[in-house]
Amino acid sequence: MLAGRAPPGAAGCCRRFLAAALRPLLCGLPSCWATARRAAGQWPSPSLRVPEAAEAERLVQQVQRTGVPLRRFIACPQLARTVQRCLQGGASPGPQPVLLECAPGPGILTRTLLNAGVRVVALESNSAFLPNLQSLENSLDGQLKVIYGDFFRLDPLTGTVKPPAMCSDKLFETMGVAAVPWRADVPVRIFGILPQRKERNTLWRLLFALYECNSIYRYGRVELNIFISEKEYKVLTAKPGEARAYQALSVLCQIGCEIQLLHMEPWSSFVTNLKNGGLAVPKSMWLPNDHLCLVRLTPQQNLFTRGLKPTNSATFIFMVKQCLAKPKSRLTDRLNSWSLDNGGKLQRALEIPKNAETRNLYPEDYRRLFEALQNSNMFTETWFHDEVLESIRNINL
Amino acid sequence: MYIRQLKVERKLSIAASQQALGGQAKAKPKVKAKAKTKAKKSLKSPKGKVAAAAWSQSHAGPHSVYAHSKPRVAAVKESAKVQRPRRVREEKDGSQYKILQQTIQSNLECFLFLQQPEKAERLLLLYHSSPAKRKLLNVNAYNIVMRSWARKGCLQRINRLFSMLESVGLRPSLDSYAAALECMGRSQSSTKAIWRCVQQLKNDGFHVDELFQKCLFEEDEKEKVLRAIRIVQPNYQLPPPPNPQTCKSSLLQDFYSKEKLVSYPKLDFSVQELQERFQQQLELELDSTVTIESVESTKPVTPQAIKARKLLATLRSRWHDSILQALQKSKHNMSQLKTVSGYNILYPYLCLLPDEEYVGIMLQILNTFSPQGESLAVLARELGSKVYNRYITQRKLRSRQLEKVQEVYEDYIHLLAKDSQPDEYLPREYWEKLVAEAGFGPSLNLKDCSWPYMLLMRLGMHMLELLVQAVKVPRNILNPRLEHKLIPVLYHIYSFRSSWQVGLIKPHPIFSQIVSDAAETLLTFNSSAIPMLCPPVPWTSPHFGAFVLNDTRLMRFVDGAIQHQLLLEQCPPVNLHPVLDALNQLGNCAWKINQPVLDIIISIFNDKGNEKLDIPPPISEAPRPPAAPSNSSTWNKSQKQEVLLYKKKTAEMHSLRMDALYKLSIANYVRDKVFWFPHNMDFRGRTYPCPPYFNHLGNDVTRAILLFAEGRPLGPKGLDWLKIHLINLTGLKKKSALQERLEYANEIMEEILDSADHPLTGRKWWMNTDEPWQALACCMEIAKASRSPDPAAYISHFPVHQDGSCNGLQHYAALGRDLIGASSVNLMPCNVPQDVYSAVAQQVEEFRKKDAEQGVKVAQVLQGFVSRKVVKQTVMTVVYGVTRYGGRLQIEKRLKEIDEFPEEYLWEASHYLVKQVFNSIKEMFSATRDIQNWLTDSAKLIAQSGRTVEWVTPLGLPIVQPYYRSSSTVLNCGMQNLSVKNSSSNQKPDTVKQKNAFPPNFIHSLDSTHMMLTALHCLRRGLTFVSVHDCYWTHALTVDVMNQICRQQFVALHSEKILQDLSEFMLEKYCRYSSPVGKPPPLSFPPTPIPLPGVVVPRCSRVVSSAWGLLWREAVLPS
Repeated sequence: MLAGRAPPGAAGCCRRFLAAALRPLLCGLPSCWATARRAAGQWPSPSLRVPEAAEAERLVQQVQRTGVPLRRFIACPQLARTVQRCLQGGASPGPQPVLLECAPGPGILTRTLLNAGVRVVALESNSAFLPNLQSLENSLDGQLKVIYGDFFRLDPLTGTVKPPAMCSDKLFETMGVAAVPWRADVPVRIFGILPQRKERNTLWRLLFALYECNSIYRYGRVELNIFISEKEYKVLTAKPGEARAYQALSVLCQIGCEIQLLHMEPWSSFVTNLKNGGLAVPKSMWLPNDHLCLVRLTPQQNLFTRGLKPTNSATFIFMVKQCLAKPKSRLTDRLNSWSLDNGGKLQRALEIPKNAETRNLYPEDYRRLFEALQNSNMFTETWFHDEVLESIRNINL
Repeated sequence: MYIRQLKVERKLSIAASQQALGGQAKAKPKVKAKAKTKAKKSLKSPKGKVAAAAWSQSHAGPHSVYAHSKPRVAAVKESAKVQRPRRVREEKDGSQYKILQQTIQSNLECFLFLQQPEKAERLLLLYHSSPAKRKLLNVNAYNIVMRSWARKGCLQRINRLFSMLESVGLRPSLDSYAAALECMGRSQSSTKAIWRCVQQLKNDGFHVDELFQKCLFEEDEKEKVLRAIRIVQPNYQLPPPPNPQTCKSSLLQDFYSKEKLVSYPKLDFSVQELQERFQQQLELELDSTVTIESVESTKPVTPQAIKARKLLATLRSRWHDSILQALQKSKHNMSQLKTVSGYNILYPYLCLLPDEEYVGIMLQILNTFSPQGESLAVLARELGSKVYNRYITQRKLRSRQLEKVQEVYEDYIHLLAKDSQPDEYLPREYWEKLVAEAGFGPSLNLKDCSWPYMLLMRLGMHMLELLVQAVKVPRNILNPRLEHKLIPVLYHIYSFRSSWQVGLIKPHPIFSQIVSDAAETLLTFNSSAIPMLCPPVPWTSPHFGAFVLNDTRLMRFVDGAIQHQLLLEQCPPVNLHPVLDALNQLGNCAWKINQPVLDIIISIFNDKGNEKLDIPPPISEAPRPPAAPSNSSTWNKSQKQEVLLYKKKTAEMHSLRMDALYKLSIANYVRDKVFWFPHNMDFRGRTYPCPPYFNHLGNDVTRAILLFAEGRPLGPKGLDWLKIHLINLTGLKKKSALQERLEYANEIMEEILDSADHPLTGRKWWMNTDEPWQALACCMEIAKASRSPDPAAYISHFPVHQDGSCNGLQHYAALGRDLIGASSVNLMPCNVPQDVYSAVAQQVEEFRKKDAEQGVKVAQVLQGFVSRKVVKQTVMTVVYGVTRYGGRLQIEKRLKEIDEFPEEYLWEASHYLVKQVFNSIKEMFSATRDIQNWLTDSAKLIAQSGRTVEWVTPLGLPIVQPYYRSSSTVLNCGMQNLSVKNSSSNQKPDTVKQKNAFPPNFIHSLDSTHMMLTALHCLRRGLTFVSVHDCYWTHALTVDVMNQICRQQFVALHSEKILQDLSEFMLEKYCRYSSPVGKPPPLSFPPTPIPLPGVVVPRCSRVVSSAWGLLWREAVLPS
């Protein structure tokens, strides 16, 4: 619990100001709303007033931006409703897992979700937004829990953990979510907008965690609902032969999770915390990039069947990255350049054409290739394993 | 060559534009360099016109040697049209175009070298016949082909080339005529033909004498041309050499004045001895590599090592064969290749050397592989440049350039040898005189033949691919239980670093295992990595100097950058004299090894090393690898982490160990010799010794084993200086005056003697100092001197150092005439040494107190945290243009280190402090920030107008900042596509870098100027002098004289109107430029920040009397 609370004295005058600004929004609640709810996991709507876009924008702008990285917020109530519908769409009947909302900021979506009866945990990294979220939390009876922390700085690899960075076990403990087996149902759903500066990095880190069952994936097949830039979405879902888009990330993501596109929204619908109110749309040379895409990534239930295990998955990732470093190179050449034995025989057994280029292999082909190599004990005998370790070092240390 | 051509063309085009300006341009004699080039330009343009006219006249002549006289007139007319767009094009797509030209020319040069004129001509024709490609050819390309025919004596072919030249509207150059005449001299042509050729030459506006003054002849070309000329003019005499010019810089008036000539200091060697040393050096360089025993060779050899060495030897001979085979096969395939051009672009480059040499180079690379591997780009560049260097050596041999150098050098050493008549020349002057007397003219310079960077990389990549393919090892060589199968020794893999990937070549663990088992004790170096065994060849031009054979550049630059070289060539030679003379002076310092210290270091190195004393321990001393289950796939995260940390540690240890091994082994190799470090400089004029591993710029260990070869008596004050030097090395008594330091040394004399007598068994006082090894060496010297019967007569070889204190700020303070600032960096007389960092900290503390009293929260929080340490780095880097952003990060780092400091205030506090530090500096060095801002603003304007920032140092060295917006070219190679960063293919300057780097670069150019001035004046006073940037070394006897010169020169330098001159230079260069092609309008610069004329610089010994914090000399050691 301690880790989740706002640090004493951090917010200063901002807190007072924001709390004052938002308090009127809570007026008009039926006083008895708290008593009659929680039927079959569905909470009754608290009927909160959702601020208008302009108001939300003003709130975002009022937060002092000193040393705070670029962030995007949902400010428009319509967009919030769309997102809320997307998140709830396709949900199986019965009790719903809790929804972790990352970086809610002014809380537009939070209120919309609460109104729709969703149980929400809000994880906010900027302490200036905390007071208003906390007063919202206090006005409700357990439907909302506010935690101080940064989802995108979860389980830092080096140094001590200083808030808002935090450890996933602390987070899950605070949320009250326990680990479930991999094949079990989704234990928790997460919504967030990927920070743009390190979008690619964050995706890689999430994938590493997924393949090694680390961090949030230690608790089971956590479902991610994230806004990512359209170009990254194109990469994640690219098929062999799609020049420039088909990359190692595509293979690993498609093997690792089921990818669902829930919604596409133009960049202009979001509010940034830039002083000039600019949109800061990242440039893209080759791929379309006019939208942010709400994508649902559900880890595959059968990921760790056959040869792949959380313990050897780093080798798989390494192999895929090496192969696709030069997509036009031939698989045979790659295998030979690693001085692996019998590359040709293996390829024949897998019915991969001799002159196949690495960009032509389907994700599933890579998986089969890995399993075959794993079975022939090829990796442990060669230097390959050392290199895998090295690559982990490059990522983690 | 081709650079010269470019220059001429550029001059012509500029000249054209200047005529529009009228005579206005000539009336500006202020900046010498400028005025000179201009004079040349205006000379050139009318000449061009005359020549063109003359040429068309010559067509009317009835008996032209050159056939096809009919279509010529038309061709000339056309040429006038063709040339215009050509020139525009040349300026437009600049470097990309130059690189293509360079590629063609270096290909043609290859054929010339290989004596294959047919192939050269075929390549030329390929371009010549296509109107689009023809634009890439300039007259030099045709000349190269002419020369290759001339060597064979085929006059007809040359005639044909002349008409080809004409048909595309190019004028023959002097070299074209040289080739024609050479051919005529060789083939005994008729008098008539030669006469006509000479006539045409004259009609083209050239003079016969110019042939011998300007052409860079090789082999017997000169003799043949002379022979041809003497057929028509039997009494022709070679033109007299040009009169040597003297530098007129006001700073060096005394230095160069003929009245005060002093003879050049002699070395303690006879002519005979120096002769022998030169022969040794020559042999060393002819071999291009040298293999020496490492210092580890004294260790006993284990049976395991013997076995592994044998194994390695058999493997190597196998590898040698398979590499040779692969090379020959690939060459065969290339020669069979029938492309449009009829040849593979790399093929000629693989023919320049005997096959064995290529194999040798590849095997040498294989031997130096570390277990961590190496990036492809680095390996490719290394392979490519090794081939290039050997090719250059071959060319020097074949062109008889080496012979000539040898001849001149033999006479040159008379200047230095003790048993010859003293001569009142500088090394450069003497060398130039000898060259002139021998009648060699400019032919000691090799024709420019550098290879484009892309080509070097391509060649290297090809060799690397061969290496990876060819070198194999049986998989079961260490483990016979495995089945036999050949696997590659090298594998190719990518390493991922955030968003980019780097290709690496790594050796297979089996190979690394054998190599480490074998523990071989032979090391192979390029001959340029070893200090020279004879005095370096003096620098006489940007192309010539330093090593006898190894190609050395006067100015170091990043790969592919050609701007510096161009600038140096455009600069009138006389302007470079001071810089060349200073470099020669630094390079002529003879060194020897401090053997007792070296022996102690080697004994520790071969034992277990000592991290505290900076002697890297061997890998065997690395911590044990963590015990983990053998099946690595079952490791958990922390086990993996442990293994990774272990690997990281061993990799670091390995590279540190190898670095020390190289240094110590080279030192050990020259332990009984006297040796020299030839010097060159970076683009700002900072000087560096050329041999990379072992030199006096190295760490404490390397500095401790170096001594001056020349010994001098200590004199009356020498012993005191040794003692003060020792205390300086310890890092103790930083705030005490020199007298106190001397007293302290006398107090601890017992410790000093103990350290000297029992370095490893005694009380080991020396080990707890800042620079332990130099301190130990100094202890030993003090012990010997103090025990000698007459310390003043004791002959000492020991270098004593004098350091600058925050040298950048010293220059700023002097530039801005800041009195307070000057005193805080010891430019003003004061009883105790001043510490600028403490002064700034004090000032910041004052500001903080004020703010705290007024209730500023962060100022209150910072109470007790403002210290010298917190502000030091920022103050130091202010000179180098650190921004508030960077300064904040520095301070934040320091505050983070303080445990008690509340973390939540880090950002705010560092933000506040950096502001106060800047304010304090502004208060103390009131003008420094103004000067910096002025420099930055000017650079920004220049860069934004699309040009690079250039300036000229007070000594006349032209400087250009080599920062361009980088663009990369992708080299498509089989193994991997290589993205080669290419600074020169895109001429757009990188505005941010140009702007931010200008102030520090400018200051560095000033400190290098000051160093050179000091070096030159020390030479005139007969001192031994070397420098490590702002740290100057000399004998203990001469410290006082050096300090005096150092101060005088600092004052003299800053008495020049440095900023005003810079401002005028920039106005001249960037604001008066008007060009026909759409260049931006002239810039208007912000005014110079310091109204200089009003401020009078006090003369030496008053205000600016103690640069280098040495004022206390007077107090300590009254003279």
